[in-house]
Amino acid sequence: MDDHFRALGADQERVGLPASGPARQAASRLPGAAISLEHSYRRLLFLYPARYRRIHEEEMLAVLMTTPSAGKRRPGLAEAADLAWGALRVRLQPQRDGGEPVWRDALAALSVILPLVMLAVFAGQLTGQWQASSKSVLDIGFPLWMIRQIAAPILLVVLVLLRRRRAAIVVSVALFLWLAQLNEGLTLLWATGDAYLLVPLALEVIALAASAGPQRGRQLLTWKHGALAVVAALAASLPGSAVPLAVIAVAGGAVMVLCSSLARWLIVLLAAAAWPFFIVVADPSGDPLVPFLPSEFGVVSETYLVPAVLLAWFAVSALRESRRLARPAPASR
Amino acid sequence: MTELTLREPTFLILTALAAGPQHGYGIMTDVAEISDGRVRLRAGTLYAALNRLVVEHLVEFDREEIVDARLRRYYRLTPPGAQRLAAEVERMRSTTAVAAQRLRLLGGTT
Repeated sequence: MDDHFRALGADQERVGLPASGPARQAASRLPGAAISLEHSYRRLLFLYPARYRRIHEEEMLAVLMTTPSAGKRRPGLAEAADLAWGALRVRLQPQRDGGEPVWRDALAALSVILPLVMLAVFAGQLTGQWQASSKSVLDIGFPLWMIRQIAAPILLVVLVLLRRRRAAIVVSVALFLWLAQLNEGLTLLWATGDAYLLVPLALEVIALAASAGPQRGRQLLTWKHGALAVVAALAASLPGSAVPLAVIAVAGGAVMVLCSSLARWLIVLLAAAAWPFFIVVADPSGDPLVPFLPSEFGVVSETYLVPAVLLAWFAVSALRESRRLARPAPASR
Repeated sequence: MTELTLREPTFLILTALAAGPQHGYGIMTDVAEISDGRVRLRAGTLYAALNRLVVEHLVEFDREEIVDARLRRYYRLTPPGAQRLAAEVERMRSTTAVAAQRLRLLGGTT
């Protein structure tokens, strides 16, 4: 049964189904009303996850078109609502398509997203600093912080887009160790100054090592994610006049998180990666925000505790998910 | 761990498949017949339920056919699915037995 959907896919290829599909052949022989009805059903079926649709669209369409329709051209309201509700339920159910567990897919997607987000955020910061400075770009030169904030993400982005998983792991580990030893006189644990780089880099190493890597990640990321990222970036870069864009970005992100189990796993990882950056932005003085803790411990706990808790939750959930998926499949009849 | 009670559409889908492998439309008509027309599944409800039953290993893919250039995919009950249905029938039987007994004690109804 683990191979249930994979078997379906193979069977579809065997009988030559997916590309044109038997329903499309049938549609060529249908009267106008039925063709119009079928197109309407196809549009409604777009509410289902793409992977589910690839396997079940023709089958569901056959059922929908077999249901007595009395010459109608459009699905009824109740039928449309039922399909929308069914699509939401399928999206909220655990996916079992014979592929990767969802948590591994989330790590694969993270391995692509993280370098891109790091690059966008640090490039934005750098631009802001240049605009605020009276000096020209050439006068500032290329200090060390520029290398670690900009060059490192650029290198990772290139490697990830070229799908060089192992090279990206080596570069991420090297960068992590380099940044860690730059914090002179401090052990790694207390090095909170660069935590906003160290934590994402550590997560990038984990994401690359524990998943199928950028190749899988790029398969998972669609135009919808790209569009949302562009809207969010525009909202972030146009302060003051970008409230509608920010609303669109937040609403789009919320819909994705609600409708996709992958997005729900991913949001936890992104929150863990982004937390130290928000601490730096919220508290640039470096003083602990938690007053009753010893100062160093306070800063460390603020910086590392939240990502650690989120990662622990992710690890426990992934372990449970893997155990559930690894249950022996019952014998077929 | 105690298993949750099956919802009626799920119970009826498993009951329909207990007669043998059926395709989606066959399950819909059979469920309507079993429930004496009371439960009429729509495609969205049926396929959401089937998806969950497949994930839970209670139902599995059987075969597919092309009829009138349309795809028919047949599903069948798995042994765990049959056990789950049997457990649900037994639970319902004991509950209805208690209800019937209490109604008899109340007098009037048998």
